[in-house]
This record gives sequence, C-alpha cells and structure tokens, in this order.
Amino acid sequence: MKHFTKWAAAAAMALAGTAVAAEGIYAPNLSYRTGPFAATGIPLMNGQADYINMLNARDGGIGGVMIDFDECETGYSTQKGVECYEKTKGKAVVTQPWSTGITLQVLPKTNVDQIPILAPGYGFSPMSDGKTFSWAFNAPAGYWDAASMIVQYLEGMGDLNGKKIAFLHLDHPYGKEPIPVFEALAAAKGFEFLPIPVGLKEMQNQSAQWLQIRRERPDNVVMWGWGAMNAGAITEAVKTKYPMENFIGVWWSGHNADLAIVGEKGKGYKSISWSFPNMDAPVMADIQKYIVAEGKTKSNETEMQGVFYGRGIVISAILAEGIRVAQAEYGVGEISAEQLRWGLENLNFTAERIDELGLTGMMLPFSTSCSNHTGHSGGWMLEWDGEKFVKVSDHLKADVASYAALAGEKAAEYAAANAPWPMNDGC
Amino acid sequence: MLYRTVGQFKTSYQADQALFPVRQDAFLLGIILLCAFVIFPLTASEFTFQTLLIPILIYSLAAMGLNILTGYAGQLSLGTAAFMGVGAYACYKMVTIMPWMNPILAVLLSGFFSAGIGVAFGIPSLRIKGFYLAIATLAAQFFLVWLFEKWAWLYNYNASGAIQVPNLDVFGLYVSGPLASSMTQYYVVLIIVSLLTWVCINLTRGNLGRTWKATRDMDIAAELIGINLMRSKLTAFAISSYIVGVAGALFVFQWRGAAEPNLFDIPLSFQVLFIAIIGGLGSILGNYLGAILIVGLPVVLNIVPEALGIPLSSATVEHLNIMIVGSLIVFFLIIEPHGLNALWRLIREKLIIWPFPH
Repeated sequence: MKHFTKWAAAAAMALAGTAVAAEGIYAPNLSYRTGPFAATGIPLMNGQADYINMLNARDGGIGGVMIDFDECETGYSTQKGVECYEKTKGKAVVTQPWSTGITLQVLPKTNVDQIPILAPGYGFSPMSDGKTFSWAFNAPAGYWDAASMIVQYLEGMGDLNGKKIAFLHLDHPYGKEPIPVFEALAAAKGFEFLPIPVGLKEMQNQSAQWLQIRRERPDNVVMWGWGAMNAGAITEAVKTKYPMENFIGVWWSGHNADLAIVGEKGKGYKSISWSFPNMDAPVMADIQKYIVAEGKTKSNETEMQGVFYGRGIVISAILAEGIRVAQAEYGVGEISAEQLRWGLENLNFTAERIDELGLTGMMLPFSTSCSNHTGHSGGWMLEWDGEKFVKVSDHLKADVASYAALAGEKAAEYAAANAPWPMNDGC
Repeated sequence: MLYRTVGQFKTSYQADQALFPVRQDAFLLGIILLCAFVIFPLTASEFTFQTLLIPILIYSLAAMGLNILTGYAGQLSLGTAAFMGVGAYACYKMVTIMPWMNPILAVLLSGFFSAGIGVAFGIPSLRIKGFYLAIATLAAQFFLVWLFEKWAWLYNYNASGAIQVPNLDVFGLYVSGPLASSMTQYYVVLIIVSLLTWVCINLTRGNLGRTWKATRDMDIAAELIGINLMRSKLTAFAISSYIVGVAGALFVFQWRGAAEPNLFDIPLSFQVLFIAIIGGLGSILGNYLGAILIVGLPVVLNIVPEALGIPLSSATVEHLNIMIVGSLIVFFLIIEPHGLNALWRLIREKLIIWPFPH
C-alpha cells in the first residue's frame, strides 16, 4: 500500500509536470524524421527545435511565455500531414506544413480555420500576394526569387545571350514551380532554357537525364531537387565529369551530407541560399551553452555545421520574431493565431535586428507587409569547397518586379478556382 | 448465448437463402448503421471525421471495388490507384467544365469514366491470367499516372500540376471543398458507400456474382457449363472499376481536397490491395475490417501515448506504429490466412454453438 501511494504520487507529479510544460504558446511543427526524406528533414527539425528550446532555456520563452514546440511526425506523407493538421489545429497558433503536398492541402482550409501557415522558402510562390493569401507566409524568399537570383548570378559571370541552361528538376509541383519565371527570363536574356524532368521513381537513377545533358552540352545545369534526387544528381554529375562549377542548385539542393559523399570531387558545386551556417554567430554559442552542453539536442557536431541545421534556426527565428511582434502589438503574452498572423505580416528584420538576435551572417534583412508575405530577402550563392559550403557572392537580390504581374495573375487564378475566396481588401 | 439460433425455423428455401438467415445478424447490422448514421456524427470531433471515419469508409469502398475483381472474379489487379485517379480527374473535369452540376451526381458519374478505362485495360484478361494479368494492370498503373502528369488539360493547366477541389454546393449547402463541414462530407460519403455496398452485396449473391465465382474457381469448367467468360470478366472489370472510380472521386473531393498525380501511384494500389487481402478476398464485410486495421489503427496508435501521458517523441511513436501495425498484419494472417472476414465467421460460428462446442 505504501508503495502504491508513492507510485501514485509520482504518477500524479509526472502528469502535473507535463501539464505545466504544455502551457504557453503552442507552436507545432509537422516534422519528417522518418520516411524517404528523413535525411534532409532531421537537420532542419533539429535546428528549429534547438533554437526554440534555447529561447525557452535562456529567456524563459518569448515575452515571458514559454513556447510549447511540439512535433507531429508526417514522414513527408500528405495523408499524415493532414492528420497532424487536424490534430494540432485546435490550439496551435501556426502550421508549419513542411511539404508542398501538405501546403496545397491546408492552404484553402486556413481561411476557414484561421491559422497562419509558415512555409519559409517553400510552397506556392504566388503566396507572396498577401491580399489573396492572407494566412500564408513564405518568407524570406520564394522559388521564383531563387530562379531570378540564379540567373542574375550567371549573368554576372558573363553574357547569357546564346547560352544553354539545362533545368534538372523533380517532376512534381515543387520542381515545376519556377519554370514560368525561367522561361520569361530566357526570352528576355536570350538564353536557351532546357527543362529536364526527373520522375519521382527515377530520383536515384538519373543516367538517362545525364546522358541527355552530355549530349546537349549545356553551359550550366540548374537543379531543383529534393531528397534522394540531390545525391543522385551530384554523384551522376561527378561520374559523367560534368564541370561542377557550372552546376547550381536551389536552396533545398545544398545539403552538406549529399556533397560529403563526393567530397573533393564536388568542389565548385553551388547552391543559392537565404541562410548560412555561421558558426561564429552568438546564437550558435547560446545553443552550445543552453542546449548542447545540457545534452538536450538530438543533433551532433557535424550536422550542426551544415547548411540545413542553420536554416532550421533561421526558420524558428522568423517564427519567434513573429510572436514577439504580435505580443508587442497586442500587449498580451499568450497570443492567438489571429494575432500571430498580424505579427508575421509585420516582420522587420533589419541588419541591426539580426545582429541583436545573434543571427549575424546567418540570414539577410527583409520585412513583410500586409500585401507582401514573402519579404524577398534575396540570398547568397554558396559554393562547396570540398568540405563545407562557403559564400561566393555578395547579397543577391531577386528582380521581384519582373514577375510581380505573373504572381498576381496566378494568385487571382487560385482565388477564382476556389471561389468564394475571401480577399484581404484592406491591403 | 448471444447468437442462439434456437427457434428460428426456416420453412422455405427463400427464407433459408435470405440475406440474414440469423436474426442476430440483422440486429448487429442495425446497431452498426445506427452508430454510423446517428451516434458517430453526434459525438465525433473534426479530427475523428477527417482521419478516421471518412478515410475508413473511402478506403473500404475502394477495397470493395477491387474485391469484386480480385476476390469474386479472380482477376488480379495492381492498377486500383490509377482507376481511382481516373475517377478523381473525371470528377474534377466535370465540375470545372460544368460548375452548375450537382457534385454528388458528378461523383457518381465519374465512375463511368473509370469503368470505361477499366474495361479497356481488362481486355488482356481474356487471354492472360494470374501474375501475367497483374503485370498488364501494372502497365495501366504506370501509363495512367504518367498521363495525369503530362496531360495538362486534365488539371486545367494549373502551374503546380495538382488538382484542387473548388467549393461545391448542393442547394446552398457546401458538400465539398474547404468550406464544407466535415459532417456534411461524412454524410455524403456514408450515403454513397452504403448505397454501393448494398448494390455489391446483392450483385455478388445474384446471377452475376455466381458467374464471377465460377470464373474465379475454374474458368475452363465455367466455360463448359455455358458461362460466357468474356462477359463475365469484362463485367467484373467494369463494375469493379466503377466502384473504384467513385471511391477515387470521393477520396479527392470529400476527403483530401487536393491531389497531385503521384498520389495515385503504386503505394496506394498496394494499400488497397492489402486492405482487401487482410480483410478477406471474396467478402464484403472484410473490406471494412481491413480498412479499420490498415487505415484506422495507425491513427489510433498515434494518439495513444499522448493520451496516456507517456512522453515519447512523435518520430519514435511513428516508428513504433509501423512496427506494431506490421506485426499485427503478420499475426492476423497467421491465425486466419483467409483474412479478418473469415476470422469473424469463425467467431460467429463458435458463438452460435456455444456453450456446447463439438
């Protein structure tokens, strides 16, 4: 009996403990630490979790309110993603869907459920139109920005007129997304644009695609790959001796582990990115002190030096700043989803603010507004030096004006297809 | 005790061959229907609707379609997901070309498109069978998914290549799309699934069903007793594909809300096939039991640790989940190789003779 009471008391304590921890702002993440894309997901998820946990440990949360950063595992499956969305939406202030498929599913529902979607650097590019997509945010940059920046970088290397650029992409909504912008740029700059799709089933065996690349001899290959496709393309490029310095990937194609496989031979491979793992940034020291030293991280040292872990930190920093802005505006600690929407819409990451947050050199300044939900921070061109990624360009800025009309058109098309679609006419 | 059949005399062949020769069966079905139509909708949360009730019903319907073909007519098919895709895309094209169309009617009509495609891909079954036919249907699977990707007209030249369900209403009540309430979506699915189940039960017990079974058990013998194999096989393909197509349209319109082409790829075909096999080939009830095990159980297992307050990370739960469901599938197939339906029949048999087993 004595034992029983002891156990019961312990159990009650444990339950009470979890109940206390669950209070605060509930910010779930639809993570994918399992499934075919786990290798790329884990560093991102770890970076996100470690940053928020660091804030909880260092500052006692944000504005004195703890952040309950929970993960709901999707394995990158759309079905599980929707399950997680339904499970978390009751008390969540934000949805971080993490896959184009899940984003597409939850995008129309957010107007009804009134929960902001935070999809940093992925999702539908026209989401930048805050007037149409009042609940969706893809700050700090969208895929169309990436396309524009890559072309700009190549132009900086020499005139593009008469050149041939192959576009190796996943044959999936994600891979097809930048095609209209590339096509418009090709017409304007006079280069030949050659899309080469890679089917979902051929991700690991791209010999046919690389045979075509060898035959066509493009001056550059631009890649929009994800998961196993990146490693497949990079090893294939090494095998066919494609000059690596002419090979550029989008930000999801710049994963350290994919290049570590080829090491020195991958030297010169580039990837555009809006984040950079600056190990000297103060925030890294804080994570080291409050999280790693306490043994609270799931990450390891190699992973923490990678681009994706650093990106996870930046993503969480965007969310945290959104929460902070909302708290300041409404004067409450435990903000609601509606209030966070306002916060994400009024982000202002100036260079000073970035330094203040300890994120020096890890991200670029940008600001969002009611009508601009992307912020278009621009990015850096990163290059693989055989061991790690280094910055090889200054701050590149996308020529947003050149596709603003297209974004408006696509957003309007989306709204029309989903009528009745509420517009935020106040913008 | 519960299943005592004492006193239930059958005085005619008709009574003996009735759908419910034992009164308790009808009673049990009544309880299930009462739950499905009244109790669940009254008590279910949005989460339950979206992750358990609606998907289980839709997967059951898809498995039932496959079961007609594979379980009753004996024609192995690996192209179920592609036929579901045909239904979904047909429905999408119909409601976008003719926005005034009643969406429920569109769902029911979309089955005819997949029936047509199903018959076309069923023609090889007249010459080949078994694994060879499975390969022919696999070709349908690859070809159709490729078509969904490449034929931009199918998804209205949408930049993302995916189809999005618009808001559709019947007399002012939204039945599909983001504005539809889960309860409305559930009732639409429930009514269509119940209706098609009723049709299937009667079809498989009737003339056509017996023709199919004869074809399945031994096609040469069936031909010798005067069964037209061509008609038997092609009707099986047509009816099966119709049901699968309706299930596909419901899948996208009443549940997912959006679909990209690779959703209809092989994994979905296998999932439906697993439901049919684990539920029991050649049964109607089995599809529901199989769907509960394959679709419902993982969802329930995922919420158990949290409900009990066990602090496990979401990724660990997912790993455990895969292991548990996998071992349960093996376990059920070992104790009853003919599926859950046979297991239920065994239990029922034992209940009837209880407490005096031979």
